[in-house]
Amino acid sequence: MSENQDNSNCRISRNVLIKAPGLLPMLYTPREIAEDLDVPETTLRDWLNHGAPHRRDGSNHIWIDGKEFAAWIDNQRNARKKPAHKLEAGEGFCMRCNAIVKIQNGEIRPVKGHLSHLKGKCPNCGGIVNRGIWNAGSSELPQG
Amino acid sequence: MLDRQNYLKVKLFLTYSRKVHERSLLQISTDFEHLKILLVWAGSQPLGSMHAFNNNLSDFLSQKVEKGLDQADVQSILKTNRRFLLWGKAMFPVEFQNIQLNWIMKITAISERKEVII
Repeated sequence: MSENQDNSNCRISRNVLIKAPGLLPMLYTPREIAEDLDVPETTLRDWLNHGAPHRRDGSNHIWIDGKEFAAWIDNQRNARKKPAHKLEAGEGFCMRCNAIVKIQNGEIRPVKGHLSHLKGKCPNCGGIVNRGIWNAGSSELPQG
Repeated sequence: MLDRQNYLKVKLFLTYSRKVHERSLLQISTDFEHLKILLVWAGSQPLGSMHAFNNNLSDFLSQKVEKGLDQADVQSILKTNRRFLLWGKAMFPVEFQNIQLNWIMKITAISERKEVII
């Protein structure tokens, strides 16, 4: 049984993304999988706490299925992919939420030439969201 | 599921190659990729009984190996596997007792005689 404690996304390095599909369909110990992926064992155990698939045997030893783990790594990569569509007026990309949000309390300040800087708050997390815009008009400011 | 004991033997061989033969990390990494094919071929069966497997390694390679591999790569894979098996026979004489030296030496000879089409 997997023990999912925290299913939030993990930051996976490019090296791991390349190496993970090479994992074999067998049960690994955390140390073995950490060696094969060339990551510290503590990082791997952190991923297990973030919901990476694993099971424990009767002696409470952790076992990780290589193929299941590779699939989880692939899901993590897909989950972190940024949305492909263009930002619309009044929208910005929140680096905390990793998503496009409607900027609240936006202020436009001219930078140079046609370039302006839109700064506001994320409605979800309250973090600051910045966006550079060309030819800024009043339509760039979110309504309300 | 693959046999874990086979995997552990391969890891032991790689450690031996690194420490005794002083092979570089890049060579070790390449060897591991080559030996993964042997592990997949053996599946859940122990390597000690590989002489009794129905299809031979070069046939397996011709079926399973990714496209784009040329004859030199196949030869390299077979040579790595032959080195591993010779080491295994020396290190685990009881377990590998049924595997004859002729059979191991034949691994590369098979692919030389027969064209491997990938």
